[in-house]
Amino acid sequence: MSAVIELTQITKRFPGVLANDRISLAVSPGEIHALVGENGAGKSTLMKILYGLYEPDEGWIAIRGNRVTLDSPSRAITVGIGMVHQHFMLIPRFTVAENVILGSEPARAGRLSMSEARRRIRALADQYGLAVDPDAEVGALSVGEQQRVEIIKVLYRGAEVLILDEPTAVLTPQEVDDLFANLRRLRAEGKTILFISHILEEVLDIADRISVLRRGRVVGTLEAARATKAQIAEMMVGRPVLMELDVPPARPGPVRLEAADLVVPGSRGRMAVRGLSFQVREGEILGIAGIEGNGQSELVEALVGLRAPSGGRLRIMGEDMTQAGPRSIRMIGVAHIPEDRHRRGLVLPMEVWENLILGHHFRPEFGEGMLLDRGAIEGFARERVDRFDVRTPSLRTLALALSGGNQQKVIVAREFGFAPSVLIAAQPTRGLDIGATEFVRRQILAAREAGMAVVLVSAMLEEVLSLADRVAVMHAGEIVAEFARGAATPREIGLYMTGARRTQEVPA
Amino acid sequence: MSAQVRLGLLQAAAPLLAIAFGALVASGIILAIGEDPLEVYALMLRFNLTRSDSVAAILFKATALTFAGLAVALAFRANLWNIGVEGQYAVGAFAAALVAFGVNGLPAFIHLPLAILAGVAGGAIWALLPIVLKLRRGAHEVITTIMMNHIAAALVLYLLADVFRDPTQAGTPRVRTPLFLDSARIPPLRPLLQQFGIGIPEHSALNWFLVLAVVLCLAAAYLLARTRFGYEVRAVALNPHAAEAAGVRIARTQFLMFLASGATAGLVGLSDILGFFGYFDIDFPKGLGFLGISVALLARNNPMGVVPAALLLGFLDRGAQGVQVFAGVPREVITILQAVIILAIVVGYELVTRYVRAQRKREAERAVAAPSDAVMQEGG
Repeated sequence: MSAVIELTQITKRFPGVLANDRISLAVSPGEIHALVGENGAGKSTLMKILYGLYEPDEGWIAIRGNRVTLDSPSRAITVGIGMVHQHFMLIPRFTVAENVILGSEPARAGRLSMSEARRRIRALADQYGLAVDPDAEVGALSVGEQQRVEIIKVLYRGAEVLILDEPTAVLTPQEVDDLFANLRRLRAEGKTILFISHILEEVLDIADRISVLRRGRVVGTLEAARATKAQIAEMMVGRPVLMELDVPPARPGPVRLEAADLVVPGSRGRMAVRGLSFQVREGEILGIAGIEGNGQSELVEALVGLRAPSGGRLRIMGEDMTQAGPRSIRMIGVAHIPEDRHRRGLVLPMEVWENLILGHHFRPEFGEGMLLDRGAIEGFARERVDRFDVRTPSLRTLALALSGGNQQKVIVAREFGFAPSVLIAAQPTRGLDIGATEFVRRQILAAREAGMAVVLVSAMLEEVLSLADRVAVMHAGEIVAEFARGAATPREIGLYMTGARRTQEVPA
Repeated sequence: MSAQVRLGLLQAAAPLLAIAFGALVASGIILAIGEDPLEVYALMLRFNLTRSDSVAAILFKATALTFAGLAVALAFRANLWNIGVEGQYAVGAFAAALVAFGVNGLPAFIHLPLAILAGVAGGAIWALLPIVLKLRRGAHEVITTIMMNHIAAALVLYLLADVFRDPTQAGTPRVRTPLFLDSARIPPLRPLLQQFGIGIPEHSALNWFLVLAVVLCLAAAYLLARTRFGYEVRAVALNPHAAEAAGVRIARTQFLMFLASGATAGLVGLSDILGFFGYFDIDFPKGLGFLGISVALLARNNPMGVVPAALLLGFLDRGAQGVQVFAGVPREVITILQAVIILAIVVGYELVTRYVRAQRKREAERAVAAPSDAVMQEGG
């Protein structure tokens, strides 16, 4: 079995960081090889080296036994390596065919030959079972279809090896099934696939072999058939990880947050939330599942006072807060873990202690009158950092110097201060590694145990299903279904997420 | 810790390095016109530092520049560009002049504060329209403040020449207001300095506004660092989205800071007219508002940096006069030197800040990476 790609002792340094440390990896032809690792483990750097975006400081790459120098993406394409990007590089206003040929336009005597392009695209689509219409406008396609266009684009350029960078992050469960069927077909046709992911279930499902990276090194390569989730997680993190959360039964109390026919405008005058009603009780977690962009962000902003609803009612702790601003909503006891922690959650160029009082800074505990009491603040900040195990060199470290996980811990530590009654958590584990994800999820459960009413909005269905006591599914600004814990499978919920199905009793 | 000290020293030394760099570039220009740069610089230092009239002139110039620089910096600290200090100080100074010559029979301890207050109010009122247009209608303050500058210049000239011109000067080429009452004059600083054995020439314009300027900078620094409002201002400037989510009213914060900027601008011209001339005339100093932008840039919008930045510009300004008279180097060369130093400092500071930030980040990564069994439980 000779390797189609062989990496030998690849080392890449950035100032102060050893991103790849003597990585050796052999990928066999016709296999799906998964690359897993936490954020910062060196996956992306390695893939960029393979795709010609970075050159390694040491080591070499061999394609089918021949050493090559990959100094540009075009060079990578000529040796048969194609990249399917996480964020699609497509032009929405162009048709599928126009997007596919962009950069390698077939020409006959200098004239663009679209018919030739269409014919080749159809042939590729048939051969690999990638159903797309070459004449459809890309902007009108679903995310899953756009991804197929990206794959065809790579195949069109003659790629034998396809690199997929977190391809499932943007897909619904059904689309993931389709993608995996496509990948298996590609493998059957002799293509080799490098699959980057941090979702272990998927990796175990699709891959033949799995290489685990940690701190720039390959810590091992496993046969997927004989690997377990716990085993991979332990290799990624370097210590045993509890994969399943222990969730005691909920003991819901009185209603703390209630939305009635809530209507919230979006950014371009369209209504993003179109008549939502739900209640959240003390000591329970309401999960809101849905594909991103179906009104979840606007709903969260309305709940925390950042976006004024244009209709309906919002009651928190028994008071009408429909038109209240963020400060009054905070003061009534609402904590908020925002979906974009860099934009809404932290002032990155400020120090850790300053970030720990953001939104609490007007409380009388932190000083009399106009002045801030540095001593009181430092005491609070120190207690928070210790209790939530924020890894920071000091309280005076700038927030931007912390890792993503520690930044999120700063936010959680702050928002859990002063005993809130309601927690609005939006995408709370986005971009976090396994350890930090586990930590944040535990904290959300602890909030429930402490009696908070929790609204958890997450694009990760698996997260909503494991934490929420009730799951509401949002589609096109409405709640199209609601399930009690364990009452629906991910596939069923997926159907509601795409709008393919909706419950009768939910008013239109 | 030693790394921390090293980084701190580097940050402190950055402006000195930048000044040296600026001097180096200017040396090329001086050489090009056939003079010896070292001789020119030596003359400048001697002229500026060994003559008491030079020292007083530098401090006097720095007084107005400090107010101007602080005014620009205060707006900048709230992410607002106040290009309108020029117009605001003209209006403020004229308002103060009206009170200074027009109000009779008040004791000095009421009349002078009243005149100063008129200046503050004039500056703030001239800043009011741009900030309201900005917050209500989204009109960019750079455009509106520049427009307000033109209006202010024309308005003040009209009021001076056609409405409030001193009637006793009719028929002469002098266009000025009536003389101010003594009760509205800012007392000179010379008597105080003499008590400390520091002699400055009797005709020196240096007055108590220098002290007010420094105190105001200290107060602004304290406000920003230690109060709730200052904390909100910093958060709004560094990340308005996070500040908004934290319940900070952004529009209110920006409104107050812009008015504070305009009010400070209202003080810029008072040291000249209330502290020295004793009237407002057509040769009232202009351009201080734009120099204030340079001062704020040099000070990196830090109120504590405004005073040294203003002193540096005052120093170069005085030096230019000396060099022109005694070395025959055209004033323009020193103007170029000023500009080059400002550019060098802005660029140099940016580089140092980035370097320090990268170092800090690396340190934090190292601190987190260092394994410690006691805290390994929760990951991170």
